[in-house]
Amino acid sequence: MPLFGSDFLKKLEYLSLISRRVFRGSILAQRRTMQLGGGIEFADHREYTPGDDFRYLDWNVYARHDQLLLKRFQEEEDLHIYLFVDCSRSMDFGSPSKFDLARQVVAALAYIALADLDRVAIVAFSNEILADMPLARGKARILSVLKFLENLIPQGTQTDLARVASGFVHRTQRRGLAVVVSDLYDPSGFERGLDMLRHRRYEPHVVQIFDPREANPEVLGDVELYDIETAANRKVTVTERNLRKYRRIFDDFQQSVQKYCRSYGLGCTRTSTETPFDQLILRMMREGVVKS
Amino acid sequence: MIFYILKIRLRRVPVSTILFWQQIFEEKQPRSIWQRLRHLLSLLVQLAFLCLLVLALAEPFFKWEILEARRLVLVVDNSASMRATDVAPSRFDRARQAGERFIDALRFRDEMAIVAAGTQPQVVCGLTGQRRTLHEALDGVSASDGPTRVAEAVTLARRLISKHSNGRVIVLTDGCFEGAEKLAANDDVELVAVGARTNNVGLTRFQVRRSLLDPIGYEILAEVFNASDEPVECRLEIELDGDVVDVVPLTLAKGEIWNRVFEKTSAEGGQMTAQLDHDDALAADDLAWALLPRREMQRVTLVSEDNLFLEKVFEANPLVKLTVVKEPPQKPAPGAITVFHRKLPATLPAGPVWVIDPSGSCDLWQLGDKLLNPIVTQQDKDSPLMAHVRLDNVILPEAREITFKGQPKLLASAVEGEPLYAVIERPGGNVLVLTVNLDQGDLPLRTAFPIMATNALAWFAGNRGELRESLATGAITEVALASSLMLYSPDGRPRPLPANVATATIGPLELCGVWRIAPATVPGRTPDEADEAKPPAALEIACNLANRGESDLRPSEELVTNEEATAVLAGFAVRPIWFYLLALALIIVTTEWYLYQRRWIS
Repeated sequence: MPLFGSDFLKKLEYLSLISRRVFRGSILAQRRTMQLGGGIEFADHREYTPGDDFRYLDWNVYARHDQLLLKRFQEEEDLHIYLFVDCSRSMDFGSPSKFDLARQVVAALAYIALADLDRVAIVAFSNEILADMPLARGKARILSVLKFLENLIPQGTQTDLARVASGFVHRTQRRGLAVVVSDLYDPSGFERGLDMLRHRRYEPHVVQIFDPREANPEVLGDVELYDIETAANRKVTVTERNLRKYRRIFDDFQQSVQKYCRSYGLGCTRTSTETPFDQLILRMMREGVVKS
Repeated sequence: MIFYILKIRLRRVPVSTILFWQQIFEEKQPRSIWQRLRHLLSLLVQLAFLCLLVLALAEPFFKWEILEARRLVLVVDNSASMRATDVAPSRFDRARQAGERFIDALRFRDEMAIVAAGTQPQVVCGLTGQRRTLHEALDGVSASDGPTRVAEAVTLARRLISKHSNGRVIVLTDGCFEGAEKLAANDDVELVAVGARTNNVGLTRFQVRRSLLDPIGYEILAEVFNASDEPVECRLEIELDGDVVDVVPLTLAKGEIWNRVFEKTSAEGGQMTAQLDHDDALAADDLAWALLPRREMQRVTLVSEDNLFLEKVFEANPLVKLTVVKEPPQKPAPGAITVFHRKLPATLPAGPVWVIDPSGSCDLWQLGDKLLNPIVTQQDKDSPLMAHVRLDNVILPEAREITFKGQPKLLASAVEGEPLYAVIERPGGNVLVLTVNLDQGDLPLRTAFPIMATNALAWFAGNRGELRESLATGAITEVALASSLMLYSPDGRPRPLPANVATATIGPLELCGVWRIAPATVPGRTPDEADEAKPPAALEIACNLANRGESDLRPSEELVTNEEATAVLAGFAVRPIWFYLLALALIIVTTEWYLYQRRWIS
């Protein structure tokens, strides 16, 4: 079954319609910048200075108060959205795999953004930036987005979000929304990477994906654990007590992601691979995780 | 030890990241007092296991084990009454189940033997302590249709015990035999009764024989016993080879023994069955078999010149196919009896020959003068030719003196020993000679004459008309063997008979039905082919239960209540001590392994 089949595209179209009708003004493309300029919506007045365009003088105020004031309008502009998709081997776990869900989520977000005339770029990463798709605009580009995502394969040695963010922020580009879709299993910690994006005035949003078997592993007795990301082995005896401990540690990790995002006002969406991507997108819309 | 070896082969489990697992296993375990105790506990468990193992290998035992060792003999009644189905599935199966319990309850160092007590007491399994052997031996005992021989079996069992201090005989029976109460009263006998008091109606006698007077007549003797505490109505159906011969409705009072002789006529022979149309617990006595010999047609060639008496005496016999000729035939018909009246050839032909009032000499005798008014003074009463024949009061005006060339056997002779009726045995066929002139005197008018003719015809026919008595189960009989033959039981199982002997003793016959003695079927054929190619039986023997004691399924009330010999079932320490020690060691090591796997101990 192809990752982006006809059913997938139908759902994308549906999500796009929903985003326009119900959540108009609260999702990606309807965001207004703080930049004032040649828009149509009135913002405030300022003193006239020589050289200003007379067309924007408020003649009514001049007639009433004999004071030259210039009308200022809020300028609307398209948003730059950077979608980070984790391609580390740890994402290739479970059935359906986290990697598949991540690509579907990225595709959906890209489609909605492109439909609303935002600019979208996609960055595939693991221990470094593996591939990226340059900024694209317009709904017509969705096919190239899908093709790009389809060609991605899980690879790399170990997730290193800090290194990826470092490479990304040093590029000359406009700031914008940075959506990181990942399981965040970064040995050096996911916080450093997100901090780097945040400090460089990007607006990070985290979509954390996990598999139910990661939350509740069905392992008991003497086993050899095999890390599919690092290919490391470990012979252990898993007892009921160990399992309880594991669940606690895993919950703590989940909570730490939530707490971090809340601390810095970042959007955070946690999901299991059991949740279909369309439901996840709808949930993100309802929660208003991406607001102007 | 195996468990520990098995632990080495680990199951490989892929995980997306090992980060969280590392946090668990790299946490430093606090060395608490409990953990130190866990080590100690593990050590103690292993020491206990080792001690138990060593102790088990030493094979310890208690003194009382040897002193109290028992010697038991299980007497299993497998007589016909044990086939009764008043208790499900049958009395015999119940007895066998009880026997299984006794075997299971055997203690270490106990010994047991099994004796079957039906038809003929037989030691099925000698004294042994091996449960498996005993179980197999008990499974090998099957119910028979034979009579009960519990008393003899107990005598045999006592011989096996041979005054052992803890010897005991356990009798598994339904108690339907004489002396059951007396037997149960013995100290060394434990009588375990199976079954209940049950009403039954059974055929206790069924015989058939050919009539001595009527060549095609036969007589049936049937006896029915109502072994019930209430009157019974039933029906007796008698069939000959599937054709109904008679149906008799019966109304029997309680305990009544009904019997009757039926007289029937038929030249046909075959298997005769009597069936009681009555639903009761014992099927073996509801059906009985008997064998009716077939009467074969005999061809008789009478060489005579119009002797009406002779013609009529042969014509009167329905089994005779008579041909009358005036001159002696050149060559007699094969298998036919040739009767020469007066006229005879110089050399008698081969085959059975009866010469009456010979007119001349031949190769076997020299004819002498006339013998006037001979009086029969000597008569061979034992000969079948003279059965029911008395010639001493018959007027015989004339006979012929004959001087035999050989040594004849005289059946009747005159005062001075002149032969009047004699038998000459020769390789080519026997010859009967009657020297009496039939035209004079009243012999042809006497009843003795047709009887003589009938006897002569039967004698020439051989022994095919003899009575073949139905035997009771458990009977032993002797049979003449012509060649190497097999004995086939009613259920088709073959048994070889001794070869190169004239007579063989067969029995005891333990199954009701028709036993066959026939040549062996060709091995390797399928059962259907074997049935088609079944060789004709040389001899058949009917065997019936015919035992009032077995048909009576009503043991005394006292025995019915004695259900179980609880004292013998005492099952403490059924296995040796080393077995318990080993079992305990195994439990300990398994528990230790389980706890170790769960990391409850180290």
